[in-house]
Amino acid sequence: MGIQPAEPLRAVLLRLPVTLLLAMLVWLALRPALDQAVASLAEALIRAYEVPRVTRLVVDRHWVGVRRADSSANADLPALPLTGVHFNAVVLLALAFALPSPCSRRQLERLAMAWAVLLLTQVLNLVFEVTSLYATRSGAFSLASYSGLERDLHGFLQVFTDLPVRFSAPFALWYGFNADVVSSLIGGGGTSGTGTGKETGTRSHRLRRR
Amino acid sequence: MSGPLAPEAKFLALFLTLLALAFSVLSLQAVDAAVVAPYTGAVASAAGAVLSLLGEDVAVRGFEIVSPRFSVAVYNGCNGLVTGVIFASAVVAFPATWRARMIGLLTGLVALQVVNQVRIVSLFYVGVFLPRFFNEAHILVWQSVVILSGVCLWLLWAHRYGNPAR
Repeated sequence: MGIQPAEPLRAVLLRLPVTLLLAMLVWLALRPALDQAVASLAEALIRAYEVPRVTRLVVDRHWVGVRRADSSANADLPALPLTGVHFNAVVLLALAFALPSPCSRRQLERLAMAWAVLLLTQVLNLVFEVTSLYATRSGAFSLASYSGLERDLHGFLQVFTDLPVRFSAPFALWYGFNADVVSSLIGGGGTSGTGTGKETGTRSHRLRRR
Repeated sequence: MSGPLAPEAKFLALFLTLLALAFSVLSLQAVDAAVVAPYTGAVASAAGAVLSLLGEDVAVRGFEIVSPRFSVAVYNGCNGLVTGVIFASAVVAFPATWRARMIGLLTGLVALQVVNQVRIVSLFYVGVFLPRFFNEAHILVWQSVVILSGVCLWLLWAHRYGNPAR
Protein backbone atom coordinates (compact mmCIF):
# COMPACT_ATOMS: atom_id res chain seq x y z
CA MET A 1 0.00 0.00 0.00
CA GLY A 2 3.07 2.28 0.09
CA ILE A 3 2.16 3.83 3.38
CA GLN A 4 4.15 6.26 5.48
CA PRO A 5 2.12 6.49 8.68
CA ALA A 6 2.04 9.76 10.58
CA GLU A 7 4.19 10.02 13.67
CA PRO A 8 1.60 9.10 16.36
CA LEU A 9 0.39 6.07 14.40
CA ARG A 10 3.95 5.02 13.61
CA ALA A 11 4.79 5.24 17.31
CA VAL A 12 1.83 3.01 18.19
CA LEU A 13 2.78 0.43 15.54
CA LEU A 14 6.41 0.42 16.65
CA ARG A 15 5.39 -0.03 20.29
CA LEU A 16 3.15 -3.02 19.52
CA PRO A 17 5.83 -5.76 19.52
CA VAL A 18 7.04 -4.57 22.91
CA THR A 19 3.55 -4.19 24.32
CA LEU A 20 2.68 -7.67 23.01
CA LEU A 21 5.52 -9.13 25.06
CA LEU A 22 4.46 -7.10 28.08
CA ALA A 23 0.85 -8.21 27.62
CA MET A 24 1.94 -11.86 27.48
CA LEU A 25 3.84 -11.45 30.75
CA VAL A 26 0.81 -9.86 32.43
CA TRP A 27 -1.46 -12.59 31.09
CA LEU A 28 0.91 -15.36 32.20
CA ALA A 29 1.04 -13.85 35.69
CA LEU A 30 -2.76 -13.62 35.86
CA ARG A 31 -3.45 -16.88 34.05
CA PRO A 32 -4.43 -18.99 37.11
CA ALA A 33 -6.75 -16.24 38.35
CA LEU A 34 -8.27 -15.81 34.90
CA ASP A 35 -8.79 -19.59 34.59
CA GLN A 36 -10.65 -19.58 37.88
CA ALA A 37 -12.63 -16.40 37.20
CA VAL A 38 -13.86 -17.56 33.77
CA ALA A 39 -14.74 -21.05 35.01
CA SER A 40 -16.48 -19.82 38.19
CA LEU A 41 -18.58 -17.23 36.36
CA ALA A 42 -19.46 -19.73 33.62
CA GLU A 43 -20.49 -22.29 36.21
CA ALA A 44 -22.68 -19.74 37.98
CA LEU A 45 -24.33 -18.77 34.71
CA ILE A 46 -24.93 -22.38 33.64
CA ARG A 47 -26.42 -23.29 37.02
CA ALA A 48 -28.65 -20.21 37.00
CA TYR A 49 -30.56 -21.69 34.05
CA GLU A 50 -30.21 -25.36 34.96
CA VAL A 51 -32.95 -27.48 36.55
CA PRO A 52 -31.79 -29.32 38.60
CA ARG A 53 -28.47 -27.55 39.18
CA VAL A 54 -26.00 -30.33 38.47
CA THR A 55 -23.06 -28.83 36.59
CA ARG A 56 -19.71 -28.21 38.23
CA LEU A 57 -16.67 -26.85 36.40
CA VAL A 58 -13.38 -27.93 37.91
CA VAL A 59 -10.18 -26.13 36.89
CA ASP A 60 -7.08 -28.27 36.58
CA ARG A 61 -3.86 -26.90 35.07
CA HIS A 62 -5.46 -24.58 32.49
CA TRP A 63 -8.16 -27.08 31.58
CA VAL A 64 -11.68 -27.20 32.91
CA GLY A 65 -13.37 -30.50 33.68
CA VAL A 66 -17.14 -30.74 33.36
CA ARG A 67 -18.83 -32.68 36.17
CA ARG A 68 -22.54 -33.44 36.43
CA ALA A 69 -23.94 -34.35 39.84
CA ASP A 70 -26.68 -36.45 38.24
CA SER A 71 -24.04 -38.29 36.19
CA SER A 72 -26.59 -39.01 33.50
CA ALA A 73 -24.43 -37.76 30.66
CA ASN A 74 -21.13 -38.80 32.09
CA ALA A 75 -18.63 -40.23 32.81
CA ASP A 76 -16.28 -39.27 30.08
CA LEU A 77 -17.18 -35.68 29.38
CA PRO A 78 -14.02 -34.24 27.90
CA ALA A 79 -12.03 -31.51 29.61
CA LEU A 80 -12.03 -28.18 27.80
CA PRO A 81 -8.89 -26.07 27.31
CA LEU A 82 -9.05 -22.66 28.98
CA THR A 83 -6.06 -21.05 27.23
CA GLY A 84 -7.97 -20.55 24.01
CA VAL A 85 -10.92 -19.11 25.89
CA HIS A 86 -9.14 -16.15 27.46
CA PHE A 87 -5.83 -15.71 25.60
CA ASN A 88 -7.43 -12.83 23.67
CA ALA A 89 -6.89 -10.66 26.74
CA VAL A 90 -3.29 -10.54 25.49
CA VAL A 91 -4.44 -8.80 22.30
CA LEU A 92 -6.55 -6.28 24.21
CA LEU A 93 -3.71 -5.54 26.63
CA ALA A 94 -1.15 -5.18 23.83
CA LEU A 95 -3.38 -2.74 21.95
CA ALA A 96 -4.23 -0.77 25.10
CA PHE A 97 -0.59 -0.51 26.20
CA ALA A 98 0.40 0.70 22.72
CA LEU A 99 -1.80 3.79 22.86
CA PRO A 100 -0.37 7.09 24.10
CA SER A 101 -0.27 7.53 27.91
CA PRO A 102 -1.36 3.96 28.69
CA CYS A 103 -0.89 4.46 32.43
CA SER A 104 -3.03 7.58 32.69
CA ARG A 105 -6.10 7.23 34.85
CA ARG A 106 -8.39 7.67 31.83
CA GLN A 107 -6.68 4.92 29.81
CA LEU A 108 -6.55 2.52 32.75
CA GLU A 109 -10.27 3.04 33.37
CA ARG A 110 -10.99 2.34 29.71
CA LEU A 111 -8.84 -0.78 29.81
CA ALA A 112 -10.63 -2.00 32.93
CA MET A 113 -14.04 -1.51 31.31
CA ALA A 114 -12.97 -3.17 28.07
CA TRP A 115 -11.43 -6.10 29.93
CA ALA A 116 -14.60 -6.54 31.98
CA VAL A 117 -16.66 -6.82 28.79
CA LEU A 118 -14.06 -9.14 27.25
CA LEU A 119 -14.29 -11.34 30.34
CA LEU A 120 -18.03 -11.53 29.79
CA THR A 121 -17.51 -12.74 26.19
CA GLN A 122 -15.04 -15.34 27.48
CA VAL A 123 -17.54 -16.55 30.07
CA LEU A 124 -20.26 -16.82 27.42
CA ASN A 125 -17.85 -18.75 25.18
CA LEU A 126 -17.22 -21.28 27.96
CA VAL A 127 -20.94 -21.47 28.80
CA PHE A 128 -21.78 -22.35 25.19
CA GLU A 129 -18.83 -24.77 25.02
CA VAL A 130 -20.39 -26.67 27.92
CA THR A 131 -24.00 -26.45 26.75
CA SER A 132 -23.04 -27.53 23.22
CA LEU A 133 -21.13 -30.42 24.79
CA TYR A 134 -24.36 -31.51 26.46
CA ALA A 135 -26.51 -30.82 23.41
CA THR A 136 -24.37 -32.20 20.59
CA ARG A 137 -21.54 -34.36 21.88
CA SER A 138 -23.02 -36.51 24.63
CA GLY A 139 -24.48 -39.30 22.54
CA ALA A 140 -27.80 -40.71 23.74
CA PHE A 141 -28.11 -38.00 26.42
CA SER A 142 -27.97 -35.28 23.74
CA LEU A 143 -30.59 -36.99 21.60
CA ALA A 144 -32.90 -37.61 24.55
CA SER A 145 -32.61 -34.18 26.16
CA TYR A 146 -32.41 -31.74 23.24
CA SER A 147 -34.51 -31.26 20.13
CA GLY A 148 -32.87 -30.85 16.75
CA LEU A 149 -33.44 -27.10 16.86
CA GLU A 150 -31.92 -26.85 20.34
CA ARG A 151 -28.87 -28.81 19.22
CA ASP A 152 -28.43 -26.51 16.21
CA LEU A 153 -28.87 -23.42 18.39
CA HIS A 154 -26.34 -24.51 21.02
CA GLY A 155 -23.90 -25.55 18.30
CA PHE A 156 -24.25 -22.21 16.50
CA LEU A 157 -23.78 -20.20 19.71
CA GLN A 158 -20.69 -22.22 20.55
CA VAL A 159 -19.17 -21.71 17.11
CA PHE A 160 -20.10 -18.02 17.03
CA THR A 161 -18.68 -17.18 20.47
CA ASP A 162 -15.63 -19.27 19.71
CA LEU A 163 -13.52 -18.01 16.80
CA PRO A 164 -15.46 -14.97 15.54
CA VAL A 165 -16.06 -13.35 18.94
CA ARG A 166 -12.76 -14.52 20.37
CA PHE A 167 -10.80 -12.98 17.50
CA SER A 168 -12.81 -9.80 16.97
CA ALA A 169 -13.74 -8.80 20.54
CA PRO A 170 -10.33 -7.37 21.52
CA PHE A 171 -10.27 -5.07 18.47
CA ALA A 172 -13.93 -4.06 18.80
CA LEU A 173 -13.58 -3.29 22.51
CA TRP A 174 -10.27 -1.50 22.06
CA TYR A 175 -11.76 0.65 19.32
CA GLY A 176 -15.06 1.12 21.14
CA PHE A 177 -13.53 2.35 24.39
CA ASN A 178 -10.82 4.41 22.66
CA ALA A 179 -12.65 5.64 19.58
CA ASP A 180 -11.46 9.23 20.04
CA VAL A 181 -7.82 8.20 20.38
CA VAL A 182 -7.90 5.67 17.53
CA SER A 183 -9.72 8.10 15.23
CA SER A 184 -7.11 10.76 15.87
CA LEU A 185 -4.39 8.21 15.07
CA ILE A 186 -6.05 7.22 11.81
CA GLY A 187 -6.83 10.74 10.73
CA GLY A 188 -3.69 12.26 12.16
CA GLY A 189 -2.65 13.72 8.83
CA GLY A 190 0.22 12.54 6.70
CA THR A 191 -0.26 10.31 3.73
CA SER A 192 2.57 8.96 1.64
CA GLY A 193 4.76 11.79 0.53
CA THR A 194 3.77 15.19 1.76
CA GLY A 195 1.71 14.32 4.79
CA THR A 196 -1.01 16.82 3.95
CA GLY A 197 -3.74 14.31 3.38
CA LYS A 198 -5.11 16.36 0.51
CA GLU A 199 -4.07 14.03 -2.29
CA THR A 200 -6.33 11.22 -1.22
CA GLY A 201 -8.99 13.00 0.68
CA THR A 202 -7.68 11.73 3.99
CA ARG A 203 -8.87 14.01 6.76
CA SER A 204 -6.66 15.28 9.48
CA HIS A 205 -9.10 15.03 12.36
CA ARG A 206 -11.45 12.61 13.97
CA LEU A 207 -14.29 10.99 12.09
CA ARG A 208 -16.92 13.64 11.49
CA ARG A 209 -20.63 13.55 11.92
CA ARG A 210 -22.58 13.58 8.68
CA MET B 1 -34.98 13.33 20.12
CA SER B 2 -31.55 11.83 20.02
CA GLY B 3 -29.10 12.95 17.37
CA PRO B 4 -27.50 10.78 14.75
CA LEU B 5 -25.04 8.15 15.85
CA ALA B 6 -21.46 9.30 16.23
CA PRO B 7 -19.42 8.12 13.21
CA GLU B 8 -17.31 5.91 15.46
CA ALA B 9 -20.44 4.21 16.82
CA LYS B 10 -21.78 3.85 13.28
CA PHE B 11 -18.54 2.20 12.16
CA LEU B 12 -18.59 -0.17 15.11
CA ALA B 13 -22.25 -1.10 14.60
CA LEU B 14 -21.73 -1.72 10.88
CA PHE B 15 -18.53 -3.68 11.56
CA LEU B 16 -20.24 -5.98 14.07
CA THR B 17 -23.27 -6.42 11.80
CA LEU B 18 -21.12 -7.38 8.81
CA LEU B 19 -19.13 -9.73 11.01
CA ALA B 20 -22.25 -11.45 12.32
CA LEU B 21 -23.65 -11.80 8.79
CA ALA B 22 -20.39 -13.14 7.38
CA PHE B 23 -19.95 -15.73 10.09
CA SER B 24 -23.59 -16.77 9.90
CA VAL B 25 -23.09 -17.46 6.19
CA LEU B 26 -19.77 -19.23 6.78
CA SER B 27 -21.33 -21.48 9.43
CA LEU B 28 -23.81 -22.94 6.91
CA GLN B 29 -22.87 -26.49 6.05
CA ALA B 30 -23.19 -25.87 2.32
CA VAL B 31 -20.84 -22.87 2.50
CA ASP B 32 -18.45 -24.81 4.68
CA ALA B 33 -18.31 -27.61 2.15
CA ALA B 34 -18.10 -25.36 -0.91
CA VAL B 35 -15.83 -22.60 0.38
CA VAL B 36 -14.24 -23.12 3.79
CA ALA B 37 -13.06 -26.70 3.34
CA PRO B 38 -11.45 -26.16 -0.11
CA TYR B 39 -9.91 -22.91 1.12
CA THR B 40 -8.44 -24.66 4.16
CA GLY B 41 -7.11 -27.42 1.92
CA ALA B 42 -5.48 -24.82 -0.34
CA VAL B 43 -3.86 -23.13 2.68
CA ALA B 44 -2.50 -26.50 3.83
CA SER B 45 -1.21 -27.25 0.32
CA ALA B 46 0.52 -23.87 0.13
CA ALA B 47 2.18 -24.39 3.51
CA GLY B 48 3.21 -27.89 2.44
CA ALA B 49 4.76 -26.43 -0.72
CA VAL B 50 6.71 -23.88 1.32
CA LEU B 51 7.97 -26.61 3.66
CA SER B 52 9.01 -28.71 0.63
CA LEU B 53 10.92 -25.72 -0.70
CA LEU B 54 12.68 -25.54 2.66
CA GLY B 55 13.77 -29.14 2.19
CA GLU B 56 11.22 -30.89 4.39
CA ASP B 57 9.90 -34.29 3.39
CA VAL B 58 6.20 -33.46 3.73
CA ALA B 59 2.99 -34.70 2.19
CA VAL B 60 -0.35 -32.91 2.35
CA ARG B 61 -3.38 -35.10 3.05
CA GLY B 62 -6.51 -33.01 3.14
CA PHE B 63 -5.95 -30.49 5.91
CA GLU B 64 -2.91 -32.29 7.33
CA ILE B 65 0.74 -31.65 6.60
CA VAL B 66 2.43 -34.93 7.38
CA SER B 67 6.13 -35.58 7.76
CA PRO B 68 8.25 -38.14 9.60
CA ARG B 69 9.45 -35.35 11.91
CA PHE B 70 6.11 -33.73 12.83
CA SER B 71 2.61 -33.32 11.50
CA VAL B 72 0.29 -30.35 11.72
CA ALA B 73 -3.38 -30.09 10.85
CA VAL B 74 -4.79 -26.84 9.48
CA TYR B 75 -8.29 -26.36 10.79
CA ASN B 76 -10.76 -23.51 10.71
CA GLY B 77 -9.13 -20.82 12.83
CA CYS B 78 -5.71 -21.79 11.51
CA ASN B 79 -6.55 -21.04 7.88
CA GLY B 80 -6.55 -17.25 8.21
CA LEU B 81 -10.19 -17.03 7.20
CA VAL B 82 -11.48 -15.67 10.51
CA THR B 83 -8.90 -12.88 10.65
CA GLY B 84 -9.51 -12.18 6.97
CA VAL B 85 -13.25 -11.82 7.51
CA ILE B 86 -12.72 -9.53 10.50
CA PHE B 87 -10.29 -7.39 8.51
CA ALA B 88 -12.64 -7.28 5.52
CA SER B 89 -15.59 -6.28 7.73
CA ALA B 90 -13.57 -3.44 9.24
CA VAL B 91 -12.47 -2.22 5.80
CA VAL B 92 -16.00 -2.31 4.35
CA ALA B 93 -17.52 -0.68 7.45
CA PHE B 94 -15.07 2.22 7.47
CA PRO B 95 -15.93 5.33 5.42
CA ALA B 96 -13.93 5.17 2.19
CA THR B 97 -14.41 4.98 -1.55
CA TRP B 98 -15.10 1.53 -2.99
CA ARG B 99 -11.83 1.75 -4.90
CA ALA B 100 -9.99 2.32 -1.62
CA ARG B 101 -11.85 -0.57 -0.06
CA MET B 102 -10.90 -2.89 -2.92
CA ILE B 103 -7.25 -1.89 -2.56
CA GLY B 104 -7.47 -2.58 1.16
CA LEU B 105 -9.20 -5.91 0.72
CA LEU B 106 -6.77 -7.17 -1.94
CA THR B 107 -3.55 -6.10 -0.27
CA GLY B 108 -4.71 -6.77 3.27
CA LEU B 109 -6.06 -10.25 2.65
CA VAL B 110 -2.94 -11.26 0.75
CA ALA B 111 -0.72 -9.86 3.52
CA LEU B 112 -2.72 -11.70 6.18
CA GLN B 113 -2.39 -14.96 4.27
CA VAL B 114 1.37 -14.42 4.02
CA VAL B 115 1.48 -13.92 7.81
CA ASN B 116 -0.63 -17.06 8.21
CA GLN B 117 1.72 -19.10 6.01
CA VAL B 118 4.67 -17.94 8.11
CA ARG B 119 2.66 -18.98 11.15
CA ILE B 120 1.95 -22.51 9.87
CA VAL B 121 5.52 -23.08 8.71
CA SER B 122 6.99 -21.75 11.96
CA LEU B 123 4.60 -23.89 14.00
CA PHE B 124 5.79 -26.94 12.06
CA TYR B 125 9.34 -26.17 13.18
CA VAL B 126 8.21 -25.44 16.74
CA GLY B 127 6.65 -28.90 16.68
CA VAL B 128 9.89 -30.41 15.40
CA PHE B 129 12.34 -28.64 17.71
CA LEU B 130 10.28 -27.41 20.70
CA PRO B 131 7.22 -29.66 20.90
CA ARG B 132 6.65 -28.74 24.57
CA PHE B 133 5.88 -25.18 23.51
CA PHE B 134 3.67 -26.02 20.56
CA ASN B 135 0.34 -25.19 22.25
CA GLU B 136 1.58 -21.89 23.67
CA ALA B 137 3.15 -20.95 20.33
CA HIS B 138 -0.01 -21.98 18.48
CA ILE B 139 -2.55 -20.12 20.58
CA LEU B 140 -0.89 -17.54 22.75
CA VAL B 141 1.81 -16.28 20.40
CA TRP B 142 0.65 -16.83 16.85
CA GLN B 143 -3.07 -16.23 17.27
CA SER B 144 -2.25 -12.96 19.02
CA VAL B 145 0.23 -12.02 16.28
CA VAL B 146 -2.23 -12.82 13.50
CA ILE B 147 -5.02 -10.76 15.13
CA LEU B 148 -2.66 -7.86 15.77
CA SER B 149 -1.42 -8.07 12.16
CA GLY B 150 -5.00 -7.60 11.01
CA VAL B 151 -5.44 -4.60 13.31
CA CYS B 152 -2.16 -3.02 12.12
CA LEU B 153 -3.11 -3.51 8.46
CA TRP B 154 -6.50 -1.94 9.10
CA LEU B 155 -4.96 1.04 10.91
CA LEU B 156 -2.52 1.61 8.03
CA TRP B 157 -5.25 1.27 5.43
CA ALA B 158 -7.68 3.53 7.29
CA HIS B 159 -4.95 6.12 7.78
CA ARG B 160 -3.97 6.09 4.12
CA TYR B 161 -7.28 5.53 2.36
CA GLY B 162 -10.06 6.20 4.85
CA ASN B 163 -12.27 9.14 4.09
CA PRO B 164 -14.08 10.03 7.30
CA ALA B 165 -16.15 12.78 5.67
CA ARG B 166 -18.01 10.32 3.48
